[in-house]
Amino acid sequence: MTSQIPRVRLLVCGTAERGDDGAALAAVAHLLPRLEPCVLEQLEVRRCPQLDATDLIDVAAGEACVVVDTVVGIEPGSVVVIPLDELAARSDGLTPRSSHALPICHVLGVAEAVRGQLPAGAFVGIGGKWFGYGKLQSRAARNGLPEMERATEDQIRRLAGAPVA
Amino acid sequence: MHGTDLRFQVQNLTRVEGEGSLHLLVSDGEVAEARLQIFEAPRYFEALVVGRSPDEVIDIVARICGICPVAYQMSAVHAFEDLFGTEVEPATNALRRLFYCGEWIESHALHVYLLHAPDFLGYPSAVELARDHRQLVADGLQLKKAGNQLVSLLGGRPIHPVGVRVGGWSRIPRRAELAALRPALEEALRLARATVDVALGLAAPDFEREPRLVALHDPHEYPMNHGRIVSNDGLALPVQQWGDAFHEIQVPWSNALQARGADDLPYLLGPAARIVLDHDQLHPLAREALVASGALESIRRNPYRSIVARAIELVHATAEALDIIDAYRPPEAPAVPWTARPGVAAWATEAPRGLLFHRYEIGADGLVAAATIVPPTSQNQAAIEADLATFAPRVLDLPMDAATHRLEQLIRSYDPCISCATHFLDLSVEQASHGMEARP
Repeated sequence: MTSQIPRVRLLVCGTAERGDDGAALAAVAHLLPRLEPCVLEQLEVRRCPQLDATDLIDVAAGEACVVVDTVVGIEPGSVVVIPLDELAARSDGLTPRSSHALPICHVLGVAEAVRGQLPAGAFVGIGGKWFGYGKLQSRAARNGLPEMERATEDQIRRLAGAPVA
Repeated sequence: MHGTDLRFQVQNLTRVEGEGSLHLLVSDGEVAEARLQIFEAPRYFEALVVGRSPDEVIDIVARICGICPVAYQMSAVHAFEDLFGTEVEPATNALRRLFYCGEWIESHALHVYLLHAPDFLGYPSAVELARDHRQLVADGLQLKKAGNQLVSLLGGRPIHPVGVRVGGWSRIPRRAELAALRPALEEALRLARATVDVALGLAAPDFEREPRLVALHDPHEYPMNHGRIVSNDGLALPVQQWGDAFHEIQVPWSNALQARGADDLPYLLGPAARIVLDHDQLHPLAREALVASGALESIRRNPYRSIVARAIELVHATAEALDIIDAYRPPEAPAVPWTARPGVAAWATEAPRGLLFHRYEIGADGLVAAATIVPPTSQNQAAIEADLATFAPRVLDLPMDAATHRLEQLIRSYDPCISCATHFLDLSVEQASHGMEARP
């Protein structure tokens, strides 16, 4: 049976030409071809160089959300998975790299206020080291990409109700 | 307070783009120092573009700002085309205006609804504002999204676009692609007109002064990519000659250069300057909104009314975007051929925050040998400090929180874009010895 409505929105943050800022793009580009059609048909992939409140507000009822981005405030290459509704409240210095029109807590807070509640879902972040224009990805981030890919896949499967590969 | 000094220090300004702080020293009830301190590290873009080709420069300077990358691309591309004698098709120019309309819409909507409105309505941020005024913030986000869609279509992506090339574009949109944006822009126009009413209903603190205003002026169109530099005190010169009337200086408290007039006095750029100097060129719907508002004089004199100027420019940008889409006929080719030639390439365009001047020295190899980029915020810094010095005595008797709020609100009236980040407020008040007192 084919699902007509995606069950998971995957928001891929960052830009490829700014070193580790492109880590989420790299992980997702490697992950998507591996996913089975029954998972892909439940997935809506959206690129967002900056995470905007509107990317979260128009998530349909019943649809979940996975946000993937590079972060600062953790060891480069390490991977974190945080429920979306906990991300805004964190005060440990962990900050997504790609939300600079407004601070991430404001993006999430505005989305929650306008939408009524944040969509169910998770944030998957990988620690970055270099973000300069034209930089290659750091070795630490490259080494962390397989774990980033696994963590993203786990969240997609969990939220889509798909079997673990 | 006689015989005492007060020192106001806002360590990190919030709801501005970038990292800066405010320092005020008040002595015997008079403001002795007003400093907008920009401590964000220098980013060396003027050095980064040296040795690069013009097309590379256009992509590099877009990275200066995530809010107004189009402005950087437009000033650069027009500078190069002016030096190289490159004549682009009228449809290419129309698309560039449309591109700029998109940026004005997203930037102004962000500022009006998410950065500045909380000040007027008594909320610490857009989050709390959204909890009590959900539809208001939703409208602002919808407006912003319409602008982002325009930038995405023409530039390939909403942030740091990549579509602009010397001679035209990498890719030109099909008519159907532009037409598909029409419903969103029609709704955006409705929301923009409503924004004027919202902005007019916000009570502005009573503060008036006589600013020196500077903007581009073109007799045929509201200024974006073309025009002469004019001021309300009689200045009129070609954009290439910005350096004849203005200069930059380094002040010890700021990592950003400050620009001053030839007389060393400050001047103000941005929506208020454009509205005052160019209101006859507004789109008829925007001019109608301005006339109905009766706000022209207060926009000129009261910086807090800049929110009304932005709202009127939202009407202009959405209405003009619709007109451009309706009249669009694709150019024959995405870009016309061009040949680099050595010399000085200089141009200015109107970023959302005001006039943005670029100057490049091109060597015999066709590459950039030197660059000067003068963003609007560095040009506005001295005017902001002057206004702070004038306004501050009015709030000195208020509790510290209220005084700080009023001063921050004043700074946000200029929509300073220090870079592409926003940070949190940490206010401290310092008591100095020898007659200085603190206000907890």
